[in-house]
Amino acid sequence: MVLFLQQMINGLSVGSIYALIALGYTMVYGIIRLINFAHGEIMMVGAYIAFILAVNTSLPFILILLISMVLSAVIGVLVERVAYKPLRKAPRISVLITAIGVSFFLQNLALVIFKADPKIMPELIEKKPIAIGPLQVGTVTVTTLALSIVFMIALDLFVKRTKPGKAMRAVSEDKDAAVLMGIHVNKTISLTFAIGSALGALGGVLYGITYTQVFPTLGVLPGLKAFIAAVLGGIGLIPGAVLGGFVIGMIETITKAYLSSQWSDAIVFGLLIIVLIVKPTGILGKNEKEKV
Amino acid sequence: MLKVKNIDVFYDKIHAIKDVSFNVSPGEVVTLIGANGAGKTTILKTISKLLEPTNGVVLFEDEPLNKLLPHQLVYLGMAHVPEGRRVFSRMTVKENLEMGAFIRKDKAGLKADYDQVFSYFPRLKERINQPSGTLSGGEQQMLAIGRAMISKPKLLLLDEPSMGLAPLLVKEIFNIVETIKKQGTTILLVEQNANQALQVADRAYVLETGRIINSGDAKVLLEDDSVKRAYLGG
Ligand SMILES: Nc1ncnc2c1ncn2[C@@H]1O[C@H](COP(=O)(O)OP(=O)(O)OP(=O)(O)O)[C@@H](O)[C@H]1O
Ligand SMILES: [Mg+2]
Repeated sequence: MVLFLQQMINGLSVGSIYALIALGYTMVYGIIRLINFAHGEIMMVGAYIAFILAVNTSLPFILILLISMVLSAVIGVLVERVAYKPLRKAPRISVLITAIGVSFFLQNLALVIFKADPKIMPELIEKKPIAIGPLQVGTVTVTTLALSIVFMIALDLFVKRTKPGKAMRAVSEDKDAAVLMGIHVNKTISLTFAIGSALGALGGVLYGITYTQVFPTLGVLPGLKAFIAAVLGGIGLIPGAVLGGFVIGMIETITKAYLSSQWSDAIVFGLLIIVLIVKPTGILGKNEKEKV
Repeated sequence: MLKVKNIDVFYDKIHAIKDVSFNVSPGEVVTLIGANGAGKTTILKTISKLLEPTNGVVLFEDEPLNKLLPHQLVYLGMAHVPEGRRVFSRMTVKENLEMGAFIRKDKAGLKADYDQVFSYFPRLKERINQPSGTLSGGEQQMLAIGRAMISKPKLLLLDEPSMGLAPLLVKEIFNIVETIKKQGTTILLVEQNANQALQVADRAYVLETGRIINSGDAKVLLEDDSVKRAYLGG
């Protein structure tokens, strides 16, 4: 029982990383209906930035994290400006293929700069077990979970309470109507990329710390799983991304612990297929007709 | 206040608006009437810069709009209630009105304008925290008009506010148009309901397949035989 609870906490922690990354997918999809396949690479970039800072400076962890998030946000916005914005009126498939191109570009850029061999991520969070009742939980697990939840709450407040947050929701619902309100749509799209990328970088840094490595294809698998999480929860929906992330993290951890570590990915992907057959719009998605 | 000069608008190869010119003076209610597909919505969208004319120019208070970005027009004092209401259905009534007030900086004046919108549409106040997707069609139209009025426009563009509403609600909406006019807002009203539109309007333009084919005093057009035959059911 204790072991099971411990696995649950691990699952929540891994899930919170997927949730952070899934938020970027879902927010960008919500606002420009694009599956941003380069999002996993933003995560990787965030992890490398933290790695560089950790190796070359003695900045405290939280500062390293924030710098990585801010720089990744800038890179995310640049990617949108350079690669996606010129295609705003192009068919969706063109933008999708461009996103895949950006993804390869960033991966290969990392390969050129850092080489293929994984770098060891310095111990940014001091590793020791914390006792929660009878449970022994690692500091990394607890910090990951805590930081993710703090930023998710912050995002929720931002989107529900602030003017730019509400403008973001307005733009994702109806761009023309938002323009008529005086909302600068391109700025709002940039803001969405900035926030999504910052959360992705947070996920990347935490992922790098959890698995103690940074490498050019670091974003590929978690990016894919986070994308599945976003679809599973209902793409375009912020609570859906969080729910999907936690569900996938839990399932993955539990199957790894009790069934087989080889099968866990297959089970996660299988789950996606089943959910999409039963409910194509995802767990929280409403069956509304898509507006043209 | 508004001058539309010789505009042509295309959708790819479809020539939707052909050399259309008209103007609206301060304090006036002007209506554009015409059948389905005549090009009424296209004209309003062109004025709001959601569409670009191939030829011609639109001037608002003598300023040509071609250099401006679409979202800047609200700042100049133009508000557009689009066809089909287009409320933000996942947002509450309150949030929709807040989006209408997006450009407002004066907190004190804003309070008074909210009160005014609620006096036009008390129903909106009752449903203030309701997601607007769950409002009835008539309530959504009220919200769309309220959302536009909260920006305190000098010129209000209204695209078929009576579409799909029961007769009683149509009357209520036109009463509000009357009230908005009395309080000094200039209105450009697009309607298929020519009878009601001509009754509230000062002047009218009749549009047919992208061209203006008739224009004049609204009360005169109301009695005009060809207009009667084509748009007033005999
Ligand atoms: N997005 C579009 N793409 C192609 N053609 C369009 C588009 N929108 C409108 N049209 C065409 O342009 C013409 C004018 O359309 P518009 O919507 O302006 O008419 P309307 O007078 O507003 O009609 P209604 O009273 O039905 O709203 C129509 O022939 C229509 O088919
Ligand atoms: Mg129309």
